[in-house]
Amino acid sequence: MLFVLAWKNIWRNKKRSLIILTAIALGLWAGLFSVAISIGVWEATINTTIDRNLSHIQIHTKEFKDESLISNYIPNGNSIVDEIDRDERIKQVSGRVLIEGMASSTTSSGGVNIIGVNPERESEVTTIATYIKEGNFFESKKRNPIVVGHKLANKLGLKLGSKVVLTFQNVDTTLTYAAFRIIGIFKTESSIFDQSNLFVRKSDIYPVMESEPIISEIAIRLNSSDDLDSVYSKINQANPALVVETWKQLAPELEFTYEMLILELEIFLGIILAALLFGITNTMLMSVMDRVREFGVLMAVGMKRLKVFMLILVETFVLSIFGGLIGMALGALTIWHLSDKGIDLSIFAEGLNAWGMPTQMYPVLPIYFYFVLVVMIIATAIIAAIYPSIKTIKLRPAEAIRTY
Amino acid sequence: MSLIEVINVSKIYNTNSIPVTALNEVTLNIEEEEFTAIVGPSGSGKTTLLNMIGGLDNPTIGNINIAGTDISTFKTDAMINFRLQNIGFVFQAYNLIPVFTARENVEFIMLLQGESKEKRENEAINLLKAVDLGDKIDKKPTELSGGEQQRVAVARALASKPSFVLADEPTANLDSVTANNLLDLMEQLNKEQKMTFIFSTHDARVIKRAHRVVTLRDGAIESDVVKNGILANSD
Repeated sequence: MLFVLAWKNIWRNKKRSLIILTAIALGLWAGLFSVAISIGVWEATINTTIDRNLSHIQIHTKEFKDESLISNYIPNGNSIVDEIDRDERIKQVSGRVLIEGMASSTTSSGGVNIIGVNPERESEVTTIATYIKEGNFFESKKRNPIVVGHKLANKLGLKLGSKVVLTFQNVDTTLTYAAFRIIGIFKTESSIFDQSNLFVRKSDIYPVMESEPIISEIAIRLNSSDDLDSVYSKINQANPALVVETWKQLAPELEFTYEMLILELEIFLGIILAALLFGITNTMLMSVMDRVREFGVLMAVGMKRLKVFMLILVETFVLSIFGGLIGMALGALTIWHLSDKGIDLSIFAEGLNAWGMPTQMYPVLPIYFYFVLVVMIIATAIIAAIYPSIKTIKLRPAEAIRTY
Repeated sequence: MSLIEVINVSKIYNTNSIPVTALNEVTLNIEEEEFTAIVGPSGSGKTTLLNMIGGLDNPTIGNINIAGTDISTFKTDAMINFRLQNIGFVFQAYNLIPVFTARENVEFIMLLQGESKEKRENEAINLLKAVDLGDKIDKKPTELSGGEQQRVAVARALASKPSFVLADEPTANLDSVTANNLLDLMEQLNKEQKMTFIFSTHDARVIKRAHRVVTLRDGAIESDVVKNGILANSD
C-alpha cells in the first residue's frame, strides 16, 4: 500500500512528474548515446588496428624486440608457423620478414618498414588487401612487385608502375639493395601507417638477401577473439624462448586508452546523473512542500517517521527508475538501430584518419554499462530523496496540520 | 482512574524570544464515554489543549496521563505509536489522503497497525457502512461532499479502535443539516460503542449536544459544566 500511495502521489501532479521524467529520460538517452558512440569509435579503432596489421597475437625473438634487425630472426620460424596452423582456433598464421630500410625514388627517399609477406596468408591474417586504393595486392605476376601506402607514394612521388629501390642490411649486416615496381597503393585509416610501411613478397626478398627462408615475425589471426587468452597461453608455453604477445601487449596504449575511456565515460554519466539529481531533489522538495499538511496528518494519526522517510524514498526511487528505464530503453533502441547502419562521419575523414580512426561509426554499449547505470540511478534516487525526506520527518504534526 | 488526566499543564511558546503562555496550569480529568466540548474564544488555548491531549505537542510544565500512562515523557516515535493505538483524530479540514478512496483512507490506519489485508478491507467496509457511506467506499475525497468527507474522517478515526476521539472543529466547514447528521452519528457512536469524544469547537450545535462543556479563557479553565446541571469546576 505504501508503494501504491507512492505511485499515486507521483501522478498527483502529472505535469511536474512528466517534466522530470522527460528530463531524466532525455538526459540518460543522450548520455548513453554519447557513451556508445565513444566506445564504438574506440572499439573500431582497436579492431581496425588489429585487422590492418597487428593481428591478435605476434611472436618475435627477444633480440628482435630489443633491436629490429633481420639477423634477429626466429629460429625454425616456418616450423613454428606450421605447428600453430594446426590449432582449429587459428584462422590463419603468417610468417613475416621485417626489415628496416630505405626506400628511394628518382626524386626522394625515406626510412621505411619493409614487410615481407606471403600474400595469400597475409590476406587472411590482416585486412591490408582490402585497403588497396590503386592496383592490387600481389595479384599480378610482375617481377619484384611492391605495395606501398599512399602517403609514402606521395612523399616519394610514386605511382602505379613506378620503380622504387629498397636498401637494407642483410643477415650478415652487409648492405644490399634491389629495385621493385609498384603494383598497388593502399590507404588505411592511419596516415602514419601509410607513410612508413610497404609490402613485398617474401619469395622476392630472400634471393636479394641471399638467405634461407627466414622469418622475423609470426602474426596470428584467431577465429574468435574470445580464444585470445587460451591460445596465447598455449603458444607461450610451447615457445618459452620467444616473446609471445597479444595485441594488448603489442599496443598497450590502445588497451590503456580504452580503459581510461571507459572510466571517463562512467564519470561522464555520473555528471549527467549528478545534474539530474538536483532536478529530482527539486521536484521532490516541491512535492513534499505541497503536502506538508498531509504529512502532518499522517504523522498525527500514527505514521512513523521511518515510514514517512520510506514513502518519500519510494516516490523518488520510482520516479527516477521509471525515467531511467525510459531513457535506457530509448538509448538501447537508438544504439541497436545505429549499430547495424552506422553513422557516416566521412565529412571529418581527414581528422579521423590522422588518428587512425574509421569514418563509419557504429555505436556500441557493453551490457555491463546498463547495470552500472542502474546502480548509478538507484544511488542518485537515494541521494535525491535524503533532503526532502529529512525536511519532512522534521515537521511537527501540530503545526503541519494547520499549514495551508 | 480517569481516561485522561491533565495535571497542572502549562504551555509557553517563545515567539521572537517573547514568552507567550498558551495554557496556564490547566488541570482536567476526562472519563470514558464522555462527549465533551472544549470551548472558548480564539486564542483561549483550546487547540493547544487538544494537541497536548492528542500527544501532538508536549507541555512545558505538568503531565498528561492517558489511561494511567504519562505521555509527556514519550519520545517522538513512541508518541506516534501511542497515537496510532489509542487516539482517533477528526480535523476541521477533513484531511483525507486525496489519492486514496474512502476505503483506502480508512484501511491505511489499520495498515500502519500491521493488520492483514483481509481484515483491513472488511473492517474498512463495515466502518464506512456504519457512517452511512456503504455505497461510496470507492469514491475519492474529491468525489465526496464535505459532510461525506468528514464521515470518512470519523470512520478513519475509529479504524484504529482508539480509546477516544479528538475532534478539532469538526463541523466548522459543514452546513447545518450536514453538521447535525455528523453529530447524530457521533452521538450514536458514543452511545452504542461507548466511544469517548472530545471536541474543540466554537459551534453552538456541538456545544448544545455535548454532555460536558469546558470553557477556556486566556489559557485557563473558566468553567467546566456537566449538562445534567452539575457544575464540575468553575472559576
